[in-house]
Amino acid sequence: MGEGTSKPPVHSYRISGLAVASQLELLGAIDAPANDDGPDITVRLQTAPETLEGGVAGGPNWEIAGERVLLRVPRVARFLIEGGRHIGVELEPGATARDASIFVLGVSFGILLHQRGAMVLHGAAVARDGRALAICGASGDGKSTLATALCREGFEFVADDICAVSLDEARRPVVWPDGRQLKLWREAIERLDVAARQGAAVREGIEKYFIGAPASVLAAPRLTAVYVLGEARPPEPEAILPLNLPDAMRALDLQAYRPAIRARIGSKPHNLAQSAAVLSHAPAFRFVRPRGFEHMDRLVATLAAHWEALRR
Amino acid sequence: MSEAPGIVWLASFPKSGNTWFRIFLANLAAGRDKPADINDLDERGGIASSRHEFEAATLLDSGLLPHSDIDRLRPRIYERIAADTKAQRWIKVHDAYTLTDGGEPMLGLGAARAAIYVVRDPRDVAVSLAHHNTTTIDEAIELMNQPDSALCRGRRGQPPQLRQKLLGWSGHAASWLEQTDVRVHLMRYEDMRADPHRAFGAALAFADRAASDEDIARAIRHADFAELQRQERERGFTERLSRSSPFFRAGEVGGWRGELTRDQVATLERAHMPMMGRLGYDLSETTAEAAVEGAYGGGIVALS
Repeated sequence: MGEGTSKPPVHSYRISGLAVASQLELLGAIDAPANDDGPDITVRLQTAPETLEGGVAGGPNWEIAGERVLLRVPRVARFLIEGGRHIGVELEPGATARDASIFVLGVSFGILLHQRGAMVLHGAAVARDGRALAICGASGDGKSTLATALCREGFEFVADDICAVSLDEARRPVVWPDGRQLKLWREAIERLDVAARQGAAVREGIEKYFIGAPASVLAAPRLTAVYVLGEARPPEPEAILPLNLPDAMRALDLQAYRPAIRARIGSKPHNLAQSAAVLSHAPAFRFVRPRGFEHMDRLVATLAAHWEALRR
Repeated sequence: MSEAPGIVWLASFPKSGNTWFRIFLANLAAGRDKPADINDLDERGGIASSRHEFEAATLLDSGLLPHSDIDRLRPRIYERIAADTKAQRWIKVHDAYTLTDGGEPMLGLGAARAAIYVVRDPRDVAVSLAHHNTTTIDEAIELMNQPDSALCRGRRGQPPQLRQKLLGWSGHAASWLEQTDVRVHLMRYEDMRADPHRAFGAALAFADRAASDEDIARAIRHADFAELQRQERERGFTERLSRSSPFFRAGEVGGWRGELTRDQVATLERAHMPMMGRLGYDLSETTAEAAVEGAYGGGIVALS
């Protein structure tokens, strides 16, 4: 940092294909060279209102007014997400930029991507030979764990948690690398034996950590399948079941990152057209399997074989 | 539907008959001539500690928040549900009735129109809890005897639900029965088993939920243990935790007699003597005799 610099340092990242310039250091985001044409997204420390003028409460801690969303995280910060281009952060007394970082990188970006009209899946994605598969499910279903295990078997890491899908010129779906590290709980780190790649805690006092992926993709690979995780409860057997079109459309709605935001921001016709286009190239499946790390090797082999067979 | 709108808490310590009553309610609401699917019960209720509901409502990943900050947001969620609902929502809750560190009721103030508190003989709870959690009976007893016990407290992985303070078996019952924010109706599991029609009917009446005798009788038939066991055997049950032990086991009253050791019985009874007395659970002879002899520091006084 040169002397006499009055402006705070600007960190530069590429997240879900977008050039990001941030006053806050975003822990877990991978540094990227700044965009010559200026950033697509700016993140700033600023004042944020207590409430949005003309805003409608969408939930107990967030409201929406047109292209603006105000999100409150208790004892951390208020986040103002505007027009798919800007994230403003006002820290609560006693909170640090470090506390706020994961909420910029996670939920604020998820909202911002919805504002930009992307399809945002709550899921992880991995790729091989320029083709990707997405793994969706509720938080705690084991998406990141399964993605990590697939990466151990030679897949490249694409995205974790927030999986932005858009359509290329030929209207085929592509997944954007999220430019972040994977996040895993302590328990999964130990069971998957990846402690050597463990980075910082996602938030101080929380036993979830960033994990460097062995290999990440740089370009956006084509999405060729979506797997929705489900639990096989006894006596139900483990299976990968194809979803018919209405069920698959519904699954994409439900597996959106924070569906309440998608429902309020996106228009229904736009969402439907987007889902239909995605599914015409990337069929959706329900992957029901038992929970527990002891099944992981077998599940990875089953999933990889199923996905490879789709190519034929 | 003839019912006064709002939340009705269906509160209990785990393994006390809460789910059975919820299945009865689902059958009552369905009003069909065949039993409701036990894996499709959540349309109108769910559980208050659902992580999924919390995350959908707040947009926040619960795994990134300390338990106390999650608790601070929870009252707002129930207040919104109460404001939005035009029907009755019976919501299962295993949390003890507590205040947040901000000093307000964690389940919201004025959000619920009533609470039904289901209680079961703690000795039967211990046996059932051990099966459900796949733990030893001693571990189950510890969860019941520790005054600061909680479910889903661990943070090394993503727990299935939000943290729920239990406060031990006696503390749990006391928290619900002694709070004055929500009017509460006590329903004993043993009474539910002995005369379900009467017990369920009284709970419905307390919550201003009108139902005919005929409808109640049909819903009870459809929620019969044999039917629940049949469904679980054929299609499993989403709320089952254990891989080895079915959720719907025997549902027996007094089954503990063949399962607990004398020491285990004594440990439970010593810890919960006053509350057991208050709720009408007789002590086993050895504990009662010892209490009379003053071995437990006058615990017998609370029984009178």
